Amino acid sequence: MSQELHARAEQLITQERIEGISTADQLWLQQHLAECESCSARAGATAQAIRSLRGLSVVLPTALSSRTQFRVRLRAQQLRGEPRWRLVWAACGMSWAFGAATAPYVWRGLEWAGHRTGVPNFIWELGFGLWWALPAAVVAVILLMQNAGRSSETDWKRQEN
Amino acid sequence: MCAALNGSFRQAALAGPASLLFSTFMADDKKSLALGLRRRDPEVLDALIEQYQYRLFRYLVYITGNRERAEDFFQETWIRVLERGHQYDGKSKFEAWLFSIARHLVIDWQRQKKAQSLDALTNPEEGAPMEFADDDPSPLHLALARESEETVQASLEKLPAIYREVLLLRFQEELGLVEIATVLSAPLSTVKSRLYRGLGDLRTLLAGEPA
Repeated sequence: MSQELHARAEQLITQERIEGISTADQLWLQQHLAECESCSARAGATAQAIRSLRGLSVVLPTALSSRTQFRVRLRAQQLRGEPRWRLVWAACGMSWAFGAATAPYVWRGLEWAGHRTGVPNFIWELGFGLWWALPAAVVAVILLMQNAGRSSETDWKRQEN
Repeated sequence: MCAALNGSFRQAALAGPASLLFSTFMADDKKSLALGLRRRDPEVLDALIEQYQYRLFRYLVYITGNRERAEDFFQETWIRVLERGHQYDGKSKFEAWLFSIARHLVIDWQRQKKAQSLDALTNPEEGAPMEFADDDPSPLHLALARESEETVQASLEKLPAIYREVLLLRFQEELGLVEIATVLSAPLSTVKSRLYRGLGDLRTLLAGEPA
């Protein structure tokens, strides 16, 4: 039997397992294996290697899934909070942009009101400063509240562990 | 959501071998899954963790070569599934997407350790020897099976990780060639050549010869 036939058989033995072969090739291979001891042994060794791979197993760690489910649920809770944060930041950004655009008009408005009511200049100027700082103050309050929430959550997690 | 999935399974089972109906069901199933992941539905995630825990953990154990590290990656993978659930398109097999996430996590970790690819995982440098499931009733059979598994395990460890990985995905996880290419983000030709080379080397190693 020529070396070419053995090489073809060898190629088909592996190809059959990896990507499949045509019916004609299958028939040819079966015939060849029936006649060739060394190729038949090679086919057996290939089948054995695959069986061994399929037979490998591992022992799952205790409560792996429940521990993972717990962590995933915690992370899901955190993620549920994040879109609201994006909303807060977007609102603040818009507020600042609107504030910058309307600042000259608000200044003139407060100035006019100050003159009409006769209050000292520094009072309506302070009012303007407060109006300008309001978005930053709101964000600061939200951040403080969020941090307070986080620290209590961390305490709770520590107790869980 | 889970009840709906179970219902679909029952319907498909009752229909018998109607492949068209089955493939439609599979497509619907993947779409439901994608929807659940997009909504970050905890029930869907819990069910998926239960369903895929063994396969994912086994894959991670064999590509990292370390049980404790595999456990960490297992949890991180599911966190990533939660965070990036919207990226699952519902067209490809879920397990291919899942393994791809797990693989990227391992590679990222490996890169942080200044390595370039999974190749560096070929010789796991630490950790307890892998444990095997002992579900055989006969002590003799158990001893033989353990010995055989240890031989296979030792042979696998000698294989470069890129070959070991494709062999596991093909013959343990029963993924198709295209799905393996998706997991690896590699061309189909690369997957095929690694499989041919890997299977040849494993066969040689199991026969007790150097690959």
